[in-house]
Amino acid sequence: MKFYFIYKTLAHPELVASYVPPIVLEERLAHARQAEKQLGSTIPWLVDAMDNRLKHALGDRPNSEFVIDPEGKIVRKRAWSYPAQLRKDLEELVGKPDQITREEDVKLNLQAPLKAPAARGVVARMKRPRMQAVVMEPVVEKDGQPFFVKLRAEAEGPLINRGAGKLYLGFHLDPFHQAHWNNLTEPLKYRITLPDGAKIENAEGTAEKVVPPSDCDPREFLVDVAAWPQDKPLTVTVTYSACVGETACHIVKQSYVLRRKRDIDGGGARSEGAGFWDPEQFAEQALEGDKNGDGKLSKNEVRGLVLPFFDQFDRNKDGFLDATEIEEVANWLNTHHQPGVPEKNKKK
Amino acid sequence: MHRLGTLALTVAVALCGLTGSALAQREKKDEEFLKEKPVVGEMFPQMSIYSADGKEFKTSDLRGHYTVITFGCLT
Repeated sequence: MKFYFIYKTLAHPELVASYVPPIVLEERLAHARQAEKQLGSTIPWLVDAMDNRLKHALGDRPNSEFVIDPEGKIVRKRAWSYPAQLRKDLEELVGKPDQITREEDVKLNLQAPLKAPAARGVVARMKRPRMQAVVMEPVVEKDGQPFFVKLRAEAEGPLINRGAGKLYLGFHLDPFHQAHWNNLTEPLKYRITLPDGAKIENAEGTAEKVVPPSDCDPREFLVDVAAWPQDKPLTVTVTYSACVGETACHIVKQSYVLRRKRDIDGGGARSEGAGFWDPEQFAEQALEGDKNGDGKLSKNEVRGLVLPFFDQFDRNKDGFLDATEIEEVANWLNTHHQPGVPEKNKKK
Repeated sequence: MHRLGTLALTVAVALCGLTGSALAQREKKDEEFLKEKPVVGEMFPQMSIYSADGKEFKTSDLRGHYTVITFGCLT
């Protein structure tokens, strides 16, 4: 039996460990290798090309499913994947298995996501209105510096549809490069080159000076666009200083071309607090699986996110997870995924 | 021998979180999606992608087994 995972574009950038979409293939391959480590699985990974050809060829759906026969013909197509339906499909196609592998039989050796090389939570995240990613083409120069920082560009509906509205520019450090801001020098600056017919109030901007010498929070701007012609791309040029370790600091100048068009591969980024698990609520939800009402979960009652952590967090080794132990799972996820802490959960 | 011995399972994933959308909207989109190409009975699209070490991988290499491709998320 052969299994593969396929790496495609990030559906929710910034959600786990503040990962951001790769710009070049080498970065995408590094993501796949990191995913392999994080899952702790021996299943090999395949990686979609940078033009997302496989994703596009199969309809760009988030949770679709295809079954292909040995001759390469599609024999089942589902808009949404349901494990029970898949099992039924496979039993129809190839027969019933002698033994069914259960979720708890798969001993995944889960590893923590990459940690940021400097503090997060130093600079407050911007609360932005509902927006969508717009098509953004990084200008990749041969032998140029790595994109230590990657732009996330999003626009309000009215800006995409009519050419006027808010434009979000978020400059995010890529954890894969393990770089942090160098706050001992000039803060990040951006400049938008305006084409004919474009009108933008704050076409240039500088990030606020940050007191600690380094951090890893994004530098974010909300730009007021009064006019952006549909067929005229904007060029955003950014200058920043980032360091890998204490001494290898780089002054970087890079550009991006933005188009007034929704990026169907951009995914849905999250802002502050995304991916944060409130420990008490997390435990309450998990305990909904407590079938016999004894106030704790046996391995057979545990599902989803908690399952891979059962043995690790069954501290007293009694074969059950109680509410306190489940809360520890939430704390582990919050620490290792570094989602940021929403205001209401911050300790006063 | 395992009766699914010739099954190759391919799961497409990203480092991402669960998403939610209005059920009614999704059902309408689901119906449209099933009518779009490639449909059941057609050949799976042939193209080159990569293995994790950067080598070329052709989707035609998946032939010879039943293959399941599921798009999803890791977190």
